Amino acid sequence: MKKIFLSIILFAVAVSAINAESLTQLEGSFKTGPAIILIGTLLTFVLVGVFFKARDPADYYAAGRKISRVGSGMAIASNWMSAASVLGMAGMMYGFGYNGLAYVVGWTGGYVLLLILMAAQIRRYGKYTAPDFIGDRYYSRDLRIVSAIFTILISFAYCVGQFGGIGLMFKWILGLNYTWAVIIGSSVVLMYTLISGMIGATKNMQIQYVIIVSSFLLPVFLMAFRFDYFWLVPQLGYGAAVTDIVQGIPAPNIVSGAPLVNAYGHDFAIVPSPEFAMPWDPSTGTTFFQWVAICFSLMVGTAGLPHVIQRFYVVPKVADARWSVVWGLFFICLVYWTAPAYAAFGKILSANPEVGALAKDAIVVYTAQLGNINSLVVGLLAAGAVSAAFSTVSGLLVAGASAFSHDLYVRVINPSSTPKSQLTVARIGTIIMALAVTIVALLKLGLIAQLVSVAFSMAACTIFPLFLLGIWWSGSNRAGAKAGLFTGILITTISITYFIAGLSGRRLPGQEFISYWLNIWYFAWIGAPLAIIVNIVVSLFTAPTPPEIKKFLAEQVHN
Amino acid sequence: MELTDQYNFSIFRPRNKHGRKNRNVILTMLAIWVLAVFGFQLLLRVTEKPTPEPALADFDKTWPLFLSGSSNDEKNALLLKSLILVAGKTIVKPDDLRTLKGAVTTVTFSMMPDSVAEGIKRMTTDASEMRAQLASLRGEQYILLSNQVKGIYSNISGILEGYTGIRKGSLESVILAHSLSSETPVPDNISFSNLPGIMKLYLTHNRSELTDTVFLGFPFHYFYTAVFLLVLFVGLCIAYNILIEWRLKKEGVTE
Repeated sequence: MKKIFLSIILFAVAVSAINAESLTQLEGSFKTGPAIILIGTLLTFVLVGVFFKARDPADYYAAGRKISRVGSGMAIASNWMSAASVLGMAGMMYGFGYNGLAYVVGWTGGYVLLLILMAAQIRRYGKYTAPDFIGDRYYSRDLRIVSAIFTILISFAYCVGQFGGIGLMFKWILGLNYTWAVIIGSSVVLMYTLISGMIGATKNMQIQYVIIVSSFLLPVFLMAFRFDYFWLVPQLGYGAAVTDIVQGIPAPNIVSGAPLVNAYGHDFAIVPSPEFAMPWDPSTGTTFFQWVAICFSLMVGTAGLPHVIQRFYVVPKVADARWSVVWGLFFICLVYWTAPAYAAFGKILSANPEVGALAKDAIVVYTAQLGNINSLVVGLLAAGAVSAAFSTVSGLLVAGASAFSHDLYVRVINPSSTPKSQLTVARIGTIIMALAVTIVALLKLGLIAQLVSVAFSMAACTIFPLFLLGIWWSGSNRAGAKAGLFTGILITTISITYFIAGLSGRRLPGQEFISYWLNIWYFAWIGAPLAIIVNIVVSLFTAPTPPEIKKFLAEQVHN
Repeated sequence: MELTDQYNFSIFRPRNKHGRKNRNVILTMLAIWVLAVFGFQLLLRVTEKPTPEPALADFDKTWPLFLSGSSNDEKNALLLKSLILVAGKTIVKPDDLRTLKGAVTTVTFSMMPDSVAEGIKRMTTDASEMRAQLASLRGEQYILLSNQVKGIYSNISGILEGYTGIRKGSLESVILAHSLSSETPVPDNISFSNLPGIMKLYLTHNRSELTDTVFLGFPFHYFYTAVFLLVLFVGLCIAYNILIEWRLKKEGVTE
């Protein structure tokens, strides 16, 4: 009892001290309140991870199929909502206006595809991992190996953006430089994933979702109230702010006799800025084609991401798989309806030249700071962003480790391995992957949302066609799958090669053409359809799918 | 029929009545999904027209007069305001911003005696040097210097009000004060040759009835994409699940 009392007193002292802080700088100093909240949040995750520790490979890979529909929906949402959703998306809208909405639509619309084309069928097929499905459906060890490698690569690409986001938030809270922030953040997330595995992760994902959504929504309610917008539903209320941005807000902006100001005392004012809302505005350097290409790539990629598909194995029944998508999408939308509000308020609050240029990827936190929101609430927001990155990274590392241990080690390298050695291999795989991701994240290759979109395009070009045709066309055979996969890999390789060449200042033949039409952020717009077409054409002219596979599909998956 | 053929199926060629109904539901959902997402963006693209902000017309009218030396204070004020409206946008690229700031400086200093301009240049230099130091300061020191910088810019705005007509305390006055550089570029310098292009780029937007109609406070197209589409996705998923389960129940199928 005494301990509890003491804890409350200590917390109250900390809170009052924190409330006494006023905004002097957006960055650069150690922030006590946010640091306490972050540490508390991380400790909670680790404790939950320890409490729900994985005991065997079935627990590690698929949480023992003990998760309810709503719980699974929360886990899907938490697993899905990464640093790209919480930090990157608002940053894209802040920097590129309407084109940022392609990410909002792309990352939600893909769930419709996932539900109507895949969720229940994948659950009925009854395999643990994406390579498991591909190897079995296409009766090919080679395809299992290649898809396992691509599962690892996709998880890797996805993680890079997350580690970048974790680094940004650790930098903001701890006042460290980016390099140290990434290293510390990566170490913590690795430790947590190793301790918990997926069953801990699934429990944690539910807790993380609650933290993410509450921390993300609260500042928007407060800002909408403070700046006199419809605060009861700020997801609609910020619409007037968008119109204000288009038309401009003159200064001083006075409501009820008091001027509206940001944390620095600058007027809540902005010059007319239609480029924020008008479609593919020339000043943002974006085009209609890019909007469509990004949106399409993200949608198709969503339905091909191994760590997302893998979530359908953890629900007890087929109907649960379907409803978990609905719950997952709804929970995701709560955040996605809100993210543009941060971009809109951020745009106005940072309009004064004294604020200076702001890092797009941290605009969510800067907006809350500039909106003069209590530093504890801003700290909670940052902790929520870290939670988002953590929940996704843990899922990705598990998916990558599963591909490594389950699909490569057990199925290919050492079929007679014991469950204990499988778990050890999974953990070694996790460590190697986390180290490699940390190194790449330190290179700062792009904005968080852009980095993550690479993973989506990769998944859309490689995994998605194999799942789509594997489920919906019995005629898709091994040769077709190999040819389709080769096409997807070829497009991916070309795009990545030209991107790296561009970064290093080299000019390859057709550099500008490829950089625009096969851009690394959206190359799936052509890669995915091509892979599907090649798969179909080659399948039609080669040996048919074995009857037992057709029979299984017809009777088990579609009957 | 051979075993191989007996189990042949595709989404377009289901094996039984249940499959055909399932196919119809899926294809209907997909059609709604595609039309709602990409159809609307295509409609937006087809109906849009490049529409300039009023400030672009002001610039086009007054910039040639300024270059030819036949402008007056009233026209210079109009020109200055159009330049400030672009310089104040947070989206402007650094190179373009440099050109814009050069133009703002040139036009502003042309509206006042040289002695006043020299005084402002000195103040601008001081403020720039102080701002450079801010990055390395923390806590009280930061607040102190930051307030000094604010004070200098406030003084500059006060002086400029009398010559430019831009009211001290307005956002435009802050943008103007921060856009001034301590050196006056020459107006016919090559660096200004791309200024009309820059102004056109930042002051022309793709607009149509869909973007100019306000719905629930939003520009309609923005509401549709940022809010409605997400509602539609959730709605489609719920409708699909209900429909599928209703049919499974009706047909007595247990999963």
